[in-house]
Amino acid sequence: MTWDFVLGQFATQFGLWWVIVPGILLGIVVGALPGFSAQNTLIMLLPLTLAVPAPTALAFMIALYCATHLAGGIPAILVKIPGTGGAAATTIDGYPMTQKGQAQQALVLCFTASVFGGLISTVVTIGLLPWLSKVGLYLRSVEMVVVMLFGLTLIAVIAAKDLLKGLIAGFFGLLIGVIGTDHIYNTPRATFGFLELYDGVPLVPALIGLFAISEALVMIESKLIVSKEGQGRAAHAHWADTVDGLRMAAARWWHIVWTSFVGLVIGIVPGAGASIAAFVAYQQSRMWSRYPELYGTGIPEGVIAPESANNGVTSGTLVPMMALGVPGGSTAAVMMVVLQYHGMVMGPRLFTSNPEIAYGVFISMAVAYIFMLFTILPLARYMSRIVLIETSYLVPVIVLMTIVAAFAGRQYQFDMGLALAFGVIGYIAHKTDYHVTAILIGVILGPLFEEYLVRSLRISEGDLSILFSSPTANTLWALLVASLALPFARAWFKRRAESGT
Amino acid sequence: MSSNRTPDSKAPLGADLVIPALALAFAAYFFVSISDLAWEAKANGVLIGSVLVVLIAVQVARVGLQVWVGAANLGFERLLLPHHALAKRIGMVALTALFIFSMDWLGLTLALFIATAAALYLMGVRKRTHLFWTPLGASVFAYVMFIAILDSEFPRGPVEILLARFF
Repeated sequence: MTWDFVLGQFATQFGLWWVIVPGILLGIVVGALPGFSAQNTLIMLLPLTLAVPAPTALAFMIALYCATHLAGGIPAILVKIPGTGGAAATTIDGYPMTQKGQAQQALVLCFTASVFGGLISTVVTIGLLPWLSKVGLYLRSVEMVVVMLFGLTLIAVIAAKDLLKGLIAGFFGLLIGVIGTDHIYNTPRATFGFLELYDGVPLVPALIGLFAISEALVMIESKLIVSKEGQGRAAHAHWADTVDGLRMAAARWWHIVWTSFVGLVIGIVPGAGASIAAFVAYQQSRMWSRYPELYGTGIPEGVIAPESANNGVTSGTLVPMMALGVPGGSTAAVMMVVLQYHGMVMGPRLFTSNPEIAYGVFISMAVAYIFMLFTILPLARYMSRIVLIETSYLVPVIVLMTIVAAFAGRQYQFDMGLALAFGVIGYIAHKTDYHVTAILIGVILGPLFEEYLVRSLRISEGDLSILFSSPTANTLWALLVASLALPFARAWFKRRAESGT
Repeated sequence: MSSNRTPDSKAPLGADLVIPALALAFAAYFFVSISDLAWEAKANGVLIGSVLVVLIAVQVARVGLQVWVGAANLGFERLLLPHHALAKRIGMVALTALFIFSMDWLGLTLALFIATAAALYLMGVRKRTHLFWTPLGASVFAYVMFIAILDSEFPRGPVEILLARFF
């Protein structure tokens, strides 16, 4: 791969602006609406993408895919409704920033972290693609059990104020996550007799109920989303706030870099996704922070970490597809269908037979992120105005429209009722400090954790020592223990320093 | 029991037991539902459920202790206050449930229009123009997005049937 080739590819991709910009705009809409996903949209647009040349179709699909990852954070920040599972962690600090009247800064942080997180991981992928493709081979089910535990320890982190309540919420979520047929024999467990629950608890109704509906039911108590102190700031939102958001992001550039790597590595593992990456990045960000106690109160790092990571996933997801012919996620699978329709054979030979496609995908991604920055950044000022709409208007629209969106995923009316049930549970949890995010982490990570754990135990015929059987897994265990011990070690050193003075 | 506390100064912790009660009921149902399954199917659930039951027992003991020493009572005020929002909240949940069930007869568009208008009224909106145009905007958006573009399998009602003749 020469510089001429790379620059030529960049020029070609910039020439496809006419499909990239509509892809971005459509992706923003799809990502911001709970219940819609990139893969469903791409499936609907399949006739269109099959009809145009492969590079054009790819540029459109990549732009749409990346934009959905970015846009999921918009409602997460403004109204505490994550547009996608990957944006759930963004609500933890994004929404408190909105309540403080810093919605515009939070949105700019979200956009810049997403764009630069995506760009950094894409550039790294372009440079290290042959090596990165092997990462997936080192992260097998045994190692993924530990990666899942990284995400699950976030439950304890979120529950820092009241550990017992947080753990009850987290384990309640984990048990809800076990609903459905088991991974080995397909026997139903705790489905209440509903066929609709045989595939497990669907994520979209859970997300909508626990976040959107429960939050709307709490919103009823106040006239506006923002606090009294924040109303003045929100009402007088100015371009200066966009610049302030950019300044905040620039000051934390290293945070964007390393959390995007978390996303990239997790994205490479087939089956792992943006939700896990965002939760793990948030947990790691808090663990290594000098002021972990401020997480959850609305700090920039709490928005940067999940957003940078869930966009870092975008290039990682495509690595196994391009290098091994194994799609890293459902969206990658749709893209693979389109590429195969155009006669491309995925796998190592793609890099010699069609380098313009193999590397073009990632160059197209980089170009899409550059376009995205200029398309969406100016909109932050206008988007932030939504917080000034009175809750008497917001609540009915949020509750009813998200209930409708709950149907969109699987086309079951049952899912609308499920979202309402989760909404009531979420409201009770919210009012009694049981942390809906901890419940959601359990619902998202529970089934994946079980899948990887059971797969590992099947290989070892029930012997738990398999979890410590590989150097990679043992390294991850050591990192997990270190990251859990760090806050205690830090507190101990602090106490010692204070007692010494 | 502390004698210098007035009833008003006690923390109402009854609401703190609602989530544990729900979780415990679900765990019990879960254990019953997996009793006959192979170990691979129940290992994870048994582990999670057992830890959950222990955590709930600790929480119940914690609340019980608070009540016993007179620092708390079993009130549900945290869920019910403020009173001005309670009726709206219950009404909103009931209205949403009604919307889901009525969709079978009214179809998505009409059911959403009526439910949004009713919900706005419930929330205190009284301007007639707002009570008409906001629901209309929501239902037109839903029709265009879900019926016209996505062709979702939402129940069809009189509006969808009528519009299908023109589009």
